[in-house]
Amino acid sequence: MKFTFAPEARPLDGYTIKRAVHRGGFGEVYYALSDAGKEVALKLLNNNLDIELRGVRQCLNLKHANLVTIFDIRQDADDDHWVIMEFVSGRGLYEVLQDYPGGMPLDEVLFWLGGIAAGLRFLHDRGIVHRDLKPANVFQDPGGVKIGDIGLSKYISESRRSAQTQSVGTVYYMAPEVAKGRYGREVDVYAMGIMLYEMITGKVPFDGQTTAEILMKHLTAEPDLSCLPEEIRPVLSAALEKDPDSRTSSIEELERQFCQSVATADTAAPVPLVTSAPQAAAKSVEHPRAMASETEVENDIESAPAAPVGVAALVAFWNVIPAPLQWVTGGAVALLILESGMWHSVAVGGMIGGVAYLGYQLMSVFVGEPFRAKSASPAMAATGSAVSARHQRTVSPAADSPVRSHPVPPRPAARNTRQRVYTPATLRKIAKAHRATDVSTSIAVSLAASALVTAAVFLTTNLLKDSAQAVYFAAVTMLAAWALIIPSKIWEGRSGDSFTRRLCLASLGLGVGFVAAVLPEYLLIGDDALFDGSHRGAPVLVGRVAVADGTGFPTVACFMMFFAALFFARRWWWQVDSFRKARFRVSSALFTLVVGVVITGMLKGFSFPEALGATWALAISAVVQLSAGWTPAEDRRLSSAPPPAADQAGPMSVDPQRPVAKAEQASFN
Amino acid sequence: MNSGTLNLDRQRRKNRWYCDTLVPQQEAILKGHTVATSSCKKYMLWIDGVGAWQLCVGQSFIIGAPSFEKQSADIALLANISRMHASIERNGEEWRLTAHQPTTVSGRTIDQDTALCSGDEIRLAERVRLGFRIPSILSTSAIIDFESDHRPSHSVDGVILLADHCLLGPRRDHHIFCTRWSEVVVLFSNGGKLRCRSKAALSVDGKIAGDSFDLKHGCVVTGEELRFRVEQME
Repeated sequence: MKFTFAPEARPLDGYTIKRAVHRGGFGEVYYALSDAGKEVALKLLNNNLDIELRGVRQCLNLKHANLVTIFDIRQDADDDHWVIMEFVSGRGLYEVLQDYPGGMPLDEVLFWLGGIAAGLRFLHDRGIVHRDLKPANVFQDPGGVKIGDIGLSKYISESRRSAQTQSVGTVYYMAPEVAKGRYGREVDVYAMGIMLYEMITGKVPFDGQTTAEILMKHLTAEPDLSCLPEEIRPVLSAALEKDPDSRTSSIEELERQFCQSVATADTAAPVPLVTSAPQAAAKSVEHPRAMASETEVENDIESAPAAPVGVAALVAFWNVIPAPLQWVTGGAVALLILESGMWHSVAVGGMIGGVAYLGYQLMSVFVGEPFRAKSASPAMAATGSAVSARHQRTVSPAADSPVRSHPVPPRPAARNTRQRVYTPATLRKIAKAHRATDVSTSIAVSLAASALVTAAVFLTTNLLKDSAQAVYFAAVTMLAAWALIIPSKIWEGRSGDSFTRRLCLASLGLGVGFVAAVLPEYLLIGDDALFDGSHRGAPVLVGRVAVADGTGFPTVACFMMFFAALFFARRWWWQVDSFRKARFRVSSALFTLVVGVVITGMLKGFSFPEALGATWALAISAVVQLSAGWTPAEDRRLSSAPPPAADQAGPMSVDPQRPVAKAEQASFN
Repeated sequence: MNSGTLNLDRQRRKNRWYCDTLVPQQEAILKGHTVATSSCKKYMLWIDGVGAWQLCVGQSFIIGAPSFEKQSADIALLANISRMHASIERNGEEWRLTAHQPTTVSGRTIDQDTALCSGDEIRLAERVRLGFRIPSILSTSAIIDFESDHRPSHSVDGVILLADHCLLGPRRDHHIFCTRWSEVVVLFSNGGKLRCRSKAALSVDGKIAGDSFDLKHGCVVTGEELRFRVEQME
């Protein structure tokens, strides 16, 4: 790249050029020092002089923390015009985007959006449209996000609004109406929409081989929104509307909508609940998953959400018990169920509970969502208002603090005021490598965990008679844990239908059941009391499959049914997810035990051994929870950063509060 | 008697000077470093379209706040740190950091000195964070990145601690990543002089240069698509 002026040149009195920075659409930019040593950027205007100068003069005295300050306009000896500007030392969004070919973390997107929106709001408020908003014009600086090149900004007045002006700006970010010479503030909203799309996905929505092709796409093609998170699609669809009059009306509106949709997407927060009931009902149709998970944030026993008041009180009581007491109580209850002959009562109770829950679910479907919202605990309303408060903060991150010494991304600021609720339903980006490490670590740990749990079962109950049985029990428990952990870790951070996931786990359960049925023959413990369901009678055949053969021992099909039902009944991925409430929750394990008892109770007619089934349920839950990777609440982020030990120093990571960015940069060193 | 009092006074004065300045125990080492840094040569590389880089040539480099009276630290940061906060020495292929004031390296508090590995984060007085990396496997030369907002008094993108050579080129593992360049330019020190070598046809101050040439203070190196200026710092 050739530049007109050499280092040490002094085209303007008082300034010495040290190096060229880049060549923009409107001229060359140099880094220069004043005679006293002040750093400035000098922009030499070589063409489009009139447009540029007129624009710059309008903006000469604008002051805002998110705009690159213009100091002066000067003429050199050759009558060329120079704009003297603030020098921004940080990287441009253009460069930062190159570090994230697959899209930026959400925190980063919100950081840029906050800064750009604040700057644009200021400009629009003064009747100025930027017109050339693009990643190459937005910079990160120790003072925050800065929008540059406001020399192109146009004064909005009716006379000039549709005047025939030269087509300028980078075509990727150019709104369709620019082709008609119309430059309203909607142009900037459109450009911001394109930049948001690019930040999230890593690519621009309209790309092509030639300028004309891209322009044509802006005019005619619909953006492909399928690669965006579901909640964000309507927001960007509105911002990228072809008709400026039906586009998102202002940059504030775009920012507000985006922050709101992000909050809905990543915390599954009950945003509509705090507005009005009809809206909530309407919203719940769109986001059944979000609604389902939101209740589960609040209720302790996950699979019995939004239960009647009595159970809610019990749950609340359970939550205030200190952890050691929970363990003791949980252990006592588990032993009581396993060792005493309480099978029947627990199974019957469980079945009644199950039927009641089903009825309740049906009722909520027919009666509608307000019913559910009303029956929710007061704690949920509190979370709702806190979330709405957070929204307000997120919407105007920079407005109330125009001068900031450090770029504070909106997300951490919100985190200071209230701890975000991260749940397994929180959508997030997890790097492939991170996911793989997580799975392999979990599997390795599950080896030790199943040994430990089997030892506990061996020592506390009379179920396992000798080491062969213990090995068998441990092996099946571990296999079951793997079958649950691997898919759950793959699903982690992604959205997905609960029913499909359950079906998938159930089919894996069939496999585990088959192994559990076949393995005893190899371990020579086939005809042992361990498997004695003591329910002899006529064989039960379903089609050609013998579910019970009448010998009192369970068949292969029976084993498979048990594991499939157990895997189906619980929402196992909540027990596996890194964002579960605690590494090990006694209540989850206990509830799984109850589910196990209920299932074995159902299979009793097919002589499935009750004690073994129930213990397995408890043991699998324990092993899964103990071995699956877990992130403590304070380390939870929306994208997976490698652990600090693996962290390499990157060049110029500007913000100490954003370790994610730093980690991403490290891979380029 | 009188002379005895005088001696005592003199001693006290000496002691007071010693106490007042509150110089830590490593003072002796520090002085050694000061002598050592006098041999450290510092250059600024102003590279068009890339940035400004500080190149340090020597065996040992001091990191600290700028000083207006004495010799300033080699890497002088506008930060609330000591004028000689820490120093980095090269011992063959190994880099070591000696802490004179509170310093941590990748979270470890450094009492005396420690070996530096590529990817380490050096933290001075809590808030100043520097990255240490050795980008190229072909060279021992290291880069200091500014990770917190603390910089020298002028915008500098990073500091190169020259061990053998410094690569300027289009790859991420070159010491200075110059996106648009097609050729690599190598800077190295030979006989106390900074020299430059490249396969690209380069000219210095407008005159066509050979394969390898000296870089003098103020010279401008120009190639087909590159241009940079070398400035020797005080």
